[in-house]
Amino acid sequence: MTTMNTPLKRRSLIAAMAALTLMSQTTNTWSQPMPPLGNNKVTITFYNYNLASAGLGADATKELIREFMAANPGVTVEGVAVPSGDMTTRLQADLAAGRTPDLAQLVFNDLDHIVRNFGVQALQDIVPAADWKSHTEGMVPAGLELAAFGGKMYGLAFTFSTPVLWYNADLLKAAGLDANKPPSTWDEVKSAALAVKAKTGKEGFYGSFYTQFDWALQGLILSNGGRVLSKDRKRLMFGEPEAVKTIEMLRDMVDAGAHTTVSDTDAMDNMRNGRLAMVLTTSAYQRSLMSAAQGKFDLRATKMPAFAGKPAVPTNSGSGLFILSKDPLKQRAAWELMKFLTSKQGYTTITTKIGYLPLRLDIVKDPKYLGTWVAENPLIMPNIEQLSRLQPWESIPGNNYKQIQKIEVQAVNEAVFGKGNVAAIMQDAQKRAQALMPR
Amino acid sequence: MTTAAISTTSTRRIHRPSVDAFLIPVLMAAPAMLTLAVWVYYPLLETAWLSFFEWNMMPGATKTFVGFENYERLLSLPEMPKATLNTIYYTLGLLPMTVALPLAVALLSQNLQGPWRNVYRAAIFLPMIMAPVVIAVIWRWLLNAEYGLINVILNSLGFGKVQFLNNPDTALWTILFMTGWKLVGFSTLVFAAAITQIDKSMTEAARMDGASEWRVAIDIVIPLISPSVLFIAMLTVLHGAQWSFAYINVLTKGGPLLATTNLFYLLYEYGFANFAVGWSAAAGMVLFLGFGAIAILCGRVLQRHAFHQG
Repeated sequence: MTTMNTPLKRRSLIAAMAALTLMSQTTNTWSQPMPPLGNNKVTITFYNYNLASAGLGADATKELIREFMAANPGVTVEGVAVPSGDMTTRLQADLAAGRTPDLAQLVFNDLDHIVRNFGVQALQDIVPAADWKSHTEGMVPAGLELAAFGGKMYGLAFTFSTPVLWYNADLLKAAGLDANKPPSTWDEVKSAALAVKAKTGKEGFYGSFYTQFDWALQGLILSNGGRVLSKDRKRLMFGEPEAVKTIEMLRDMVDAGAHTTVSDTDAMDNMRNGRLAMVLTTSAYQRSLMSAAQGKFDLRATKMPAFAGKPAVPTNSGSGLFILSKDPLKQRAAWELMKFLTSKQGYTTITTKIGYLPLRLDIVKDPKYLGTWVAENPLIMPNIEQLSRLQPWESIPGNNYKQIQKIEVQAVNEAVFGKGNVAAIMQDAQKRAQALMPR
Repeated sequence: MTTAAISTTSTRRIHRPSVDAFLIPVLMAAPAMLTLAVWVYYPLLETAWLSFFEWNMMPGATKTFVGFENYERLLSLPEMPKATLNTIYYTLGLLPMTVALPLAVALLSQNLQGPWRNVYRAAIFLPMIMAPVVIAVIWRWLLNAEYGLINVILNSLGFGKVQFLNNPDTALWTILFMTGWKLVGFSTLVFAAAITQIDKSMTEAARMDGASEWRVAIDIVIPLISPSVLFIAMLTVLHGAQWSFAYINVLTKGGPLLATTNLFYLLYEYGFANFAVGWSAAAGMVLFLGFGAIAILCGRVLQRHAFHQG
């Protein structure tokens, strides 16, 4: 047994024990059933970011909450509108002040932070096993995994999407391109964008890679064989050669004039106004793009483009639902609301009225739910097709994760829109960010 | 004087008035001092203390002592030099719009009469009472390169489109203009109020001596309202960079390519985004010390150069 005392062996022993514990947790029976609602009156607070934005489905969310309350007269849901970018800060402030919401819609890139600091209840600790099993039946496993952390289910994927290439078919046609064969590689995106610019004077392409949420950027880097964070979650990798090559591709598009240099908000405005040909972004813009395009131009969508010879790797944007309440009755009410929102009916509303993905593929063809709508609105199909290849949006670990994200996004902006050397900028940023990772 | 008369009768009573003389003012000042202590000095000390820790305020999270690491991290941010330079631009760039222009408007409009007086006052003051975020959104529409009204006009005059907020060369000046535009009204009001306070006999005497309006303004009016002018100038220097915050946050997030960031925005981004108490406390201390020094300097200038009537 003396060999066991060398650090390496000891570490692997610990790792093995940890793995065993995790396995036993995942296969663990779902203990401590919550009380049924019965005739109890209960009020729960629900922090939601769709409520905070008209463009992102405030009305549809209100409608869902109303329907839920009508079906469950004992439960009052107080929806609290919090913009997605402010969600963790707001929640953190409220938790520090002792005002815990019962249910919250939280963005996946905060998952690490949420689980470690927010006292989120692991669902298998509070939800009856049979209830969980029957509710999640038919849900896409890759989608369910999004809210899993360290082998436990902490939430339920709620509103999420994959990167979709929205395009203005009229502009592509005007540029002499075949609008039925939209670009499927980044080289094609570049040449299409240049053609649009040359023939119509309009802008060619914008990708949603430059704001605080790096989900689409992570997918782009994965598509080129790189990563943002190593698999063991210890090392940042956005300055490694594969990531650098990815960002050089974007820089090249900007230098060539194929990629518009306006801000994210302006790019979306221009897309809605028919002055930009292509945007790679979340499908959550579906509703607002559709109503802007109505009667004005032919709006279409296609899958995320790939790097030549490599498969495109779509990542997810969006959020999951997480129970924060410690009160069993409120937990029950929150769980019932979660079930309602992620039911076949709930996802029908979410997909048709907001544009997020349905986590249940069995409703896509079912005429009782999405069947008719999908037939009339093929725009959702690229998004649904990408669901099976979905890779989770990684959350950065540690207390400084927001600062790390900041450094990453700032560096990408500078590398793509600036004049400096891409590799040098990204490597320097990686080095500085790595110093902020947990030691 | 009865107390004095009584106090001569015993030594014990001699001390009473001096104790009262000490105690009564202290008691009277106590509410104000206590408020200051609770709301200003205690938080200041606690901020200084917390700036040496890594802590995220979460219930159950431990405070880790990290020494000067938070300061090192903040001050070694590669954005720091650019943000500092921009802060100077924001501060000095605002002075023409918070001091020079309002001074001119106040001087030219001092004799305005009748309904035009009210129209002008409303027009100049309206931006002041509008919410900065609303202003920011309206400007964003006006300045949009593709369909914004300003670009449509520029285009029709043959200037071509200007990417006001998306071009690193113009973004800072655009934000600066919005900030200044909102403040013109406030400064003008302060100056106009100061002008009405001037003793009319002085300006009339000068006019009777044959002074032109220009000489009256330069030699009498401006010196007499110099405390107000210096006050506004000091306010601009101390708060100018902060006033741009809402526009930066709504319109550019410090971009493009850091063109519009400043110390406040940078420190907000790194310090306050995540309730990283150590980062934000250190950021707060850096700003407190930096602008505290400037405030002391400004105070000196104000004392030395302000010219008072009478």
